[in-house]
This record gives sequence, C-alpha cells and structure tokens, in this order.
Amino acid sequence: MSAPDTAAGVAEFRAEVRAWLAEHVPAEPLPPWTEREGFDLHRAWEGRLFEGGYAAVDWPTEYGGRDAGLRRSIAFAEEYYRAGAPERINMGGLYLLGPVLMRYGTPEQCARWIPDLLACRTIWCQGFSEPGSGSDLASLRTSAERDGDHFVVNGQKIWISMGGFADWIFALVRTDPEAGRRRKHDGISFLCIDLRSPGVEVRPLTMVDGTRGFAEVFFTDVRVPVGNVVGEVGRGWAVAMSTLGFERGAVFGDHAKFSRDVADLAALAGARGLDEDTHALDELGRVLVQTEVYRANVYRLAALAEAGGELDSTASINKVFWTQMQHDIFDTGLRLLAQDGAVVGDPGSLPGADAATLRAWSRWHHRYWYARAAMIFGGTNEIQRNIISERVLGLPMEPRR
Amino acid sequence: MTTFDQDRRQLVALTDDVLRAHCGLDHLRARLDDDTAHTAALWGRLAETGLVSALVAEDHGGAGLSPAHLSGVLHSLGRHAVPEPFLETAVLATSVLGALPGPVADTWLPRIVGGDALAVVRLGELTPFLPYAADADLLLDLAADGSVRAFTREETEVVPVPSLDPLRPLARVTVTGEGTLLGSDRAVVTRTRSLAVAGAACLLAGAAQRLLELTVEYVGVREQFGRPVGSFQAVKHKAADLAVMVDMATAAALSAFDAVDDPDGASRAAAAKAYAGDAAARANVDALQLHGGIGFTWEYHLHVWLKRVMGLAATYGTTTALRRDLARELLARVTEERRG
Ligand SMILES: Cc1cc2nc3c(=O)[nH]c(=O)nc-3n(C[C@H](O)[C@H](O)[C@H](O)COP(=O)(O)OP(=O)(O)OC[C@H]3O[C@@H](n4cnc5c(N)ncnc54)[C@H](O)[C@@H]3O)c2cc1C
Repeated sequence: MSAPDTAAGVAEFRAEVRAWLAEHVPAEPLPPWTEREGFDLHRAWEGRLFEGGYAAVDWPTEYGGRDAGLRRSIAFAEEYYRAGAPERINMGGLYLLGPVLMRYGTPEQCARWIPDLLACRTIWCQGFSEPGSGSDLASLRTSAERDGDHFVVNGQKIWISMGGFADWIFALVRTDPEAGRRRKHDGISFLCIDLRSPGVEVRPLTMVDGTRGFAEVFFTDVRVPVGNVVGEVGRGWAVAMSTLGFERGAVFGDHAKFSRDVADLAALAGARGLDEDTHALDELGRVLVQTEVYRANVYRLAALAEAGGELDSTASINKVFWTQMQHDIFDTGLRLLAQDGAVVGDPGSLPGADAATLRAWSRWHHRYWYARAAMIFGGTNEIQRNIISERVLGLPMEPRR
Repeated sequence: MTTFDQDRRQLVALTDDVLRAHCGLDHLRARLDDDTAHTAALWGRLAETGLVSALVAEDHGGAGLSPAHLSGVLHSLGRHAVPEPFLETAVLATSVLGALPGPVADTWLPRIVGGDALAVVRLGELTPFLPYAADADLLLDLAADGSVRAFTREETEVVPVPSLDPLRPLARVTVTGEGTLLGSDRAVVTRTRSLAVAGAACLLAGAAQRLLELTVEYVGVREQFGRPVGSFQAVKHKAADLAVMVDMATAAALSAFDAVDDPDGASRAAAAKAYAGDAAARANVDALQLHGGIGFTWEYHLHVWLKRVMGLAATYGTTTALRRDLARELLARVTEERRG
C-alpha cells in the first residue's frame, strides 16, 4: 500500500484530473453500452483513459497505475462523476480480477493479463453463478477435468454481466469432485478462460428492462491450460471470496456517483414544481442524508485502510447499505413523478426541464432496474444479512450442508 | 497511527473506564429510584479525569483540545446512558465561553473546569426544552442574530416538564433578568449549533449501539423451541439490518463532529443527526421487539436506552426537520446550477 496522501498532494492531483477530464470527457453522453455501438464507444473511452494514465490510479505503478493512495483515488472518482464521464465498462477486470491477480496471481499471469485488462483491450466477465448454484455458490457443478497440461471444462454459467461483450471469463470450476463431496467448498478452482476457445458458446440474455446486459455461457469440452488457474488448484474458494470482498466493499469514491444521482433527483423534483411540497422534501431529504452518510463511511473506511485495518468485515455492511440507498434514490424518483413514473423517460413528463435533467430522466428506469439488480448480485442482501449476523454480530450459524 | 489518533483512543479508553466503574447499571438504577439524574459525584469524576475541561484553553485550566478529540468520548457517553449534561456544559458552554473572552468567561470557565458549575446553552428552535436546566448555574442564550447572552440562575425561571427520559430531565426556561451580553458573532452561533447537532448524533449513535449490543447478547442466550432465539433467521436479519444502520450512523456522527469547523460542517452535522435519529428509532423498535416481555418491564434495564434514544432524537433537531432543510438547500442549489 502506498503512503498516505498529503492534503496538498490530493489538491494538486485533483486539479490535474479535473483539467484532463474537462478536456477529454465527450460533450455528448455516449449511447448505452448495452448495445454494440455504445459498447465500442465506451471501450474507446476506456482506451483514452488508459492513455491519460487514469485507468486505475490506485494500482501500483509496476502494473500501470499511479500508486495513488486512497485519498487521491477518492478525489479521482469524485472528479470523474462530477464531470459526468462515461460509465466504466471493465469492472470485472479492473475492480475484481486485477486486484485478485495482484494478490494470488503468479508474476507470469500478472504480466500476461494485467496490461491488456488495464488498457481495456480485453474485457473480463465473472463466471460464478450457475442455474443451480446462486446463493449456494459452493454447490457449483461446472467441471474441469485434468488432461495432461490442460483442463477440460464442461458446464454452464448464467447471468454473467457484460457476458455478450467480454473476451475472457474468470470462472469457478470443480477440479476435484471427490474433495467436494466431503466439503463442497473444497476442490473448486479459479480458472481464466478465453471466450474465443472452441467449445464456448455465449448466449446474450435480455434483462428485465429489455437491454442485453448479461449472458449465459456454455462450456463443452473446452480445453484450458492448467497455467490459467489463479491461486492453488482446488483452493479457488478463497480466491472467490476475496473477489466478492472487492465486489461488496466500498469502491472508493462511488459516493460521488450517488451524490450526483441525488442532485438529478432534486432536479426532477424541481422540474415537477415540487420545491415547496413537504412530502417531496421529506423523500428527497431521506436519500440525500443517506448519500451524505455513505460519503462519511467511505472516508472512514479509507482512514481505516490507511491505518492498516482490515475491511473484510465491513464489506457486507457496506453492500447492504449502498444497494438499498441506490434503490431508494431511483424508487423515490419514480414515485415523485407520480403517474408519469409509468412512462419511460418521456420528455413530456418534465416540461421546461433543462437538457441535463431530461437526460437523467431518460436513463432513470434503466438505473432503477440496475439498482434492483444490485440487491441481488454479489451475494443477495439476505446472504449479506446472514454474514453480518454470524460474522460481525456472532449469532448462531445457519444449519449448513 | 498519528499521535492525534492515539490521544483520541486513550480518551475513549479513559472514558470507558470511568463510566464502567461509576456509571454502571447500579448507578442508573439508583438515579431512577431517587428521581435525580445529575449527581455531583459522577460529574466530579468526569471533571477530575479532565474530560469536562478537555476543550477549555490551557490558560483557563483546560487541555486546549479540539472537538475532534471528543467525538469518541461522546459516543461512549451515549453507550453508557450517562445522565449528565456533558454535551451541554463540557462541549457547548465551554466552546461559547472560549470563543467570547471577557469577564463572564473568566468567572465561569474555572468553575466549570473544577466541576463546580454546570451550564446549559439555548439554541433557538433547536432547544424548546433545555436538558438539565434545573441543575444549571448558568444559561447561555444564543440568538439567531448572533448575540450571545449569559444569565445566572437568579436571572432565569426554570419550570421542569415531565421528561420521557427521566435520566435526561427537561425544563422550560424563561429569562427574568437582563443577563450579560458576551458578544455578537454569527460564526459562534453557527458553530455551536453544529456542535450540538453533531454531538447529539454521537450520543445517539452510542446509545443505539448499546441497544444493539444488549439485543445481540440477549437473543444469543434466550432459548425457545430448544434453541437460542438468535438462531432464527427472522431475528438474525433484524439484528443485521440494525447493525448496518448503527454502524453507518456511527461513521457519520463521529466524522461530522470531527468536521464541525469545515466549510460544510453544518450540513454534515445535520445529515449525521438526521440519520442517527433514524437508526436510533430502528434500534428502539427492534431492541424491544427482540427482547419480548422482559424488555417491557421496569425492572429490566432496556428502557433506559429506549428512552434515551427517543429523547435525544427529539432534541437538537429532529430527523424530519433536518432532512427538510437539507433538501431545500439542495433543491435551491441544483435549480440555480441548471438554470445558469
Ligand atoms: C443483473 C445481474 C447481474 C449479475 N451478474 C453476475 C455476474 O457477472 N457473474 C455471476 O457469477 N453472477 C451474476 N449474477 C448472479 C447473481 O450473483 C445471483 O443471482 C445471486 O447470487 C443469487 O442467486 P440466485 O439468483 O440463484 O438466487 P437464489 O440463491 O435462488 O435466491 C432466491 C431467493 O432466496 C434467498 N435465499 C437464498 N438462500 C438463502 C439463505 N441461506 N438465507 C436467506 N435467504 C436465502 C435469496 O436471497 C433470494 O431472495 C447477476 C445477477 C443479476 C441480477
């Protein structure tokens, strides 16, 4: 971990980021990444971020980051959302696999995958869930049988975010069914698979709002080099848990995104003439307070991390909070629009609104559905409550098999 | 760890030690039996350890610390349901007197430092009732126009009102005398309001934390159907949701108190108090629900914290009022930005 940032260092970095974004952020928002055209434009944007040296400022310089401490990373994110820059698309790679490789990967694996991942030349997706194994992830059945220096993979992964656009998948597979029969968490491996390998079939799935944001992936006798296992063969569960820790924990700086969403919500209320409506003020105030609380939490976790504290136990608390907050923001918007909440993004619902507010409204339902998904993915919020009650509060364990 | 962090940690450890020894259940129970909250004995302990004078400048006999040193202390005071006007006297009054030097400060600060005087602070609509006013020797009245006046006991009429939380007595106070003008400074009023609002948030978060702890402890040992009730998922998930709120309330409260002198100190304080009020309301409902009948008895001690959170949530800005103000500010700002 890098040295704590000084206030002056953060301010200087912030100014530099702000200037760069002012110059480079596309004036017109990109079309949604859930269609090919939009996806390619987002990918091109990621390439520009990379060239500017901003793809992952918190990463160590040896991997192409800037070794920015937490406070500079937070400042970057705050500026990023403030500037209204495009949604990041390589989350599986940048936020999940990258950090996992740095912890568990061999130097060879890091050298092979990290540079392309950082530059967004390869898009990664996360292949954990299966039709029969969602919350009970360790019951997974996709098999990987050893054949010389390869594994032969058979099975199915489902609800894979960005699966239709990704180049590679990091998947949990069962390499030792015998060990799994004794204890289901054993005998699982964390395997990186090139989606262009023979025997891989990706079928995009249409999501509840009609967009093609995720996919199912079928593996039929797919040969994958043994060297693609991250961490020890048969010990993939620990690697997976560490990945989920990154997914649930504070993505430092994402509070700025929610603050922006709440500003959009205020603009919706304003455009509907609800400035003096006490019900609207109460509802807006409720989510505004949540985002302020979340901001305080992000800074607290940063301070904790800087002091060398562990954040694992906070990840589940964090996930329950931010996913509910995000839901509350978008749900509130729909309710404040009253009957117009049933009309998707229609400018007629907001006569006289400025362009920024209309744009926010045009994306509102999509963001609303995404907020619903966040309470399900990364381990449902019920699973998080099990974890909090058992591992944070020490209450008795669920009966387990 | 920085020395500042070490100092803070030591202060909290010190507070916990003093309170464990002198403000345990037996102390609270005795106060309920006597119908007195404040005692010279407990207040004397807090003064002796230097907590009461922590914020007072060194030349007045204090430690000259900043509010950021005390957020954890306030949380601990809330956890222990301390029936003393610490926020009012040791935080608010000392800050006001410290900011407006003169004969009044010179007279009263040494008495406060010595543990010989209690002071309460009136902050307009935030304090329709004044906690611990019946025990106070001095009233500081901070008006919206920035003027600050001091009234001695003889210059006020204090009428106690029946307080929901008997360990946090309330009174209606009318001033009968002229008082003494300490100065006129809006910044002092704004800062004191932020200290009160954020300080109350810290106390609330601490009290809500205690409700969570009491509940987790109880459901872990209480058995029904042959197993601890805390093994039922309905119970576990309630406790988990409460843990999320209490944890977040604590994060927001402590950081808001630490940041009272930041440019956005007032709005951070308001957000922290608004959320702490919500978390505490949840704690109030779920703690009693998960205790069942035992929690409903006077004999069992849960009600001390149930009432503490209700009382604190109603003081120094309610969740509803604070949220509305914050929402109005945001709406005005966003409308302005999007127009221009
Ligand atoms: C938009 C979206 C994107 C996704 N992206 C990915 C991805 O990129 N990669 C990936 O691997 N997966 C992804 N997922 C899948 C996601 O991780 C799973 O949906 C999730 O883990 C839940 O599994 P399930 O859907 O099988 O639900 P189930 O496990 O069948 O759960 C159904 C209900 O039962 C509850 N439940 C289950 N077990 C318990 C228990 N022990 N205690 C209490 N309640 C319980 C659940 O909380 C839920 O409410 C995504 C899902 C969505 C919606």
